[in-house]
Amino acid sequence: MLARNAVQSLAPLAAFVFAFDGDPLANLLLGGSIFLALIVATAALRYWFFRYCITDSSILIRDGIFNKRQLDIAYTRIQAINTQQNILYQQLGLVTVNFDTAGSSAAEGYLPAVRAELVSSLERRIRQQPTVADVPLESEAASAPTERHELLRLTAGDIVLVGLSSSRVFLLFALAGPIGDYVDRHFSEQLEESALIEALTAANSSPGGGVFAAFVVIALIVLLLFSISIVGSFIRYHGFTVTAGDARLRSTGGLLTRHEHSINKAKVQSVVIIQPAALRLFRRFRLRVRQISSGRAGSSRDFVVPICRGRHVPVLEREVFGDELADLSPDPFASTVSPVSPHYLRSRIVLFGVVPSIAALVGLWPVAGPTALLSLGWMLPSTLYFWLTYRRFGLSVLQNGFAFRSGLVGYRVNIWLHRKVQRLTITQSPFQRRRKLASMRFHLASGSISVPFTDHAMALQLQDYLLYRIESS
Amino acid sequence: MRPRNHPNEPMFTNPEIAVEELPSAAQVEWQALDRRYVMRLQIKALVSGAVALGALLIARLPGMPIPLGAPYALAWIVVGIFVAFGLLWPIWSVPRKRYAVRDKDILYRSGVFWQSVTAIPFNRMQHVETSSTPLDRRFGLATLQLFTAGGAGGDLKMHGLPADIAERLRTFVLERIGDDTERD
Repeated sequence: MLARNAVQSLAPLAAFVFAFDGDPLANLLLGGSIFLALIVATAALRYWFFRYCITDSSILIRDGIFNKRQLDIAYTRIQAINTQQNILYQQLGLVTVNFDTAGSSAAEGYLPAVRAELVSSLERRIRQQPTVADVPLESEAASAPTERHELLRLTAGDIVLVGLSSSRVFLLFALAGPIGDYVDRHFSEQLEESALIEALTAANSSPGGGVFAAFVVIALIVLLLFSISIVGSFIRYHGFTVTAGDARLRSTGGLLTRHEHSINKAKVQSVVIIQPAALRLFRRFRLRVRQISSGRAGSSRDFVVPICRGRHVPVLEREVFGDELADLSPDPFASTVSPVSPHYLRSRIVLFGVVPSIAALVGLWPVAGPTALLSLGWMLPSTLYFWLTYRRFGLSVLQNGFAFRSGLVGYRVNIWLHRKVQRLTITQSPFQRRRKLASMRFHLASGSISVPFTDHAMALQLQDYLLYRIESS
Repeated sequence: MRPRNHPNEPMFTNPEIAVEELPSAAQVEWQALDRRYVMRLQIKALVSGAVALGALLIARLPGMPIPLGAPYALAWIVVGIFVAFGLLWPIWSVPRKRYAVRDKDILYRSGVFWQSVTAIPFNRMQHVETSSTPLDRRFGLATLQLFTAGGAGGDLKMHGLPADIAERLRTFVLERIGDDTERD
């Protein structure tokens, strides 16, 4: 708990050191002392007030210094157990346990710094409970642990690709701005005397040297950001393996802190296969196995496989869905995937391309004159955007589920079972009513999936069919 | 929802059903919301408009540090439009909100331009809730809210039901949820 508080306090400490003028070293010493005292005091108080009790049917957790909180998490409500083990905990044989539950986000609990043996004991107890909403498969109810088999293991090359394709790079670009300001404010004088600036200044004086210098600086920044991202990927995914057994998927990995995430296959709501543009270059995929979500922003409880090869995708799909989706085509662009109506393209181009362009032209003409004609240029990128998205949309209606493809440059395929649908909404705009079209929104416990511009009669038939499948499931 | 077989129970059967024989959502008798819900929404619009107008009149008092002129006149126009919209819109929107209770699910239809139909099977409902504001109670109305698993995507709210119907629906849905849970 002390270690956890220390890590959480590093951010305000860094902010303190950088935010106040004066000698950074003195700020560091002063700030460090204050924060150390606060960390120790908070950790001691949290430890003192944290109590938990494991019963036959639930876990009771009581914590809070001023705001007291008492949680009673029934085993039947627990969707998954996730553990984390940092270097310190590895030495002490401790883990932090997080419980994913099906209820509201406020009722989720965690146990900090408990013995590793407790986790396996808890898993055994949870397996022995009959569930309320989703009765597990018979194999899952067996109390004896079954043998686990490895589905995939990330190589060093895979982890480098995770770093290269990560969206963290863009986040680092955003962070680079304030850090650049700080460097500019405090170190500009020292930098002016440095050899690098001299070299760049010399380069700037020669013909074409300015362009070269700018290129070198940008290349260095990009290289640095990608390096940071790759290092981050190694820290998170070193030794990442996915195993299956006892009706659960489990991932383990991490260089410093060891992360273990397990998910009950019976509680999986949908599987998302993603191939962003960056991964498309390397012919790799990303997989998200989605479970019940509380709807809280940023509280993703997805089981994520950050990268995998094409041959792993059907293996993982089969592991999650079993034989229920045997008719799912491994090729997301197969001819059995029905495209959405071409009226989607037409309506979107008119609504978001032509109408805004003409409105801007009419509005700007009295002010800007013929220059306002430039606003018509908006039609080209908007048309391209909707044409690309239209080409990606495709729905497969399978015997026991659906697969819906979408995307822009890359693509994603959402796969879910009929019996996991919580409710279905069919919506028609005036334009769609004239064309006998409709948009469908499938509400799952993990979120909703929209399928635009399908045949209205088919949507109604699907609604009835889904009800029949849900009732008979 | 897998059935648990008992030695004395008949073996699980799963006969095929033709899609044409399934009950169709297109052939249901839709129930309208209470007409009093229109007036309730109009009164809400009038009260909101009165509050906004009061704020605008206070702004005219001497000594208030709010500049009058074009923005102030624009504020009057905006409030007027909102009040007019709040008075007229329920006349179109409320009659288009309808619901249907079937043996296995509840259907809810809404929308003037973008019309949508939502179907929630009973065995997907987690719990049900009725609520009413003081204004609702003045008109004898209530809101029925149906919750399904997971917080994402929101839950279905049916406003403007007569209070007794909302209560009967709540009891009916609770019984159905109980039946489905027992069956499971």
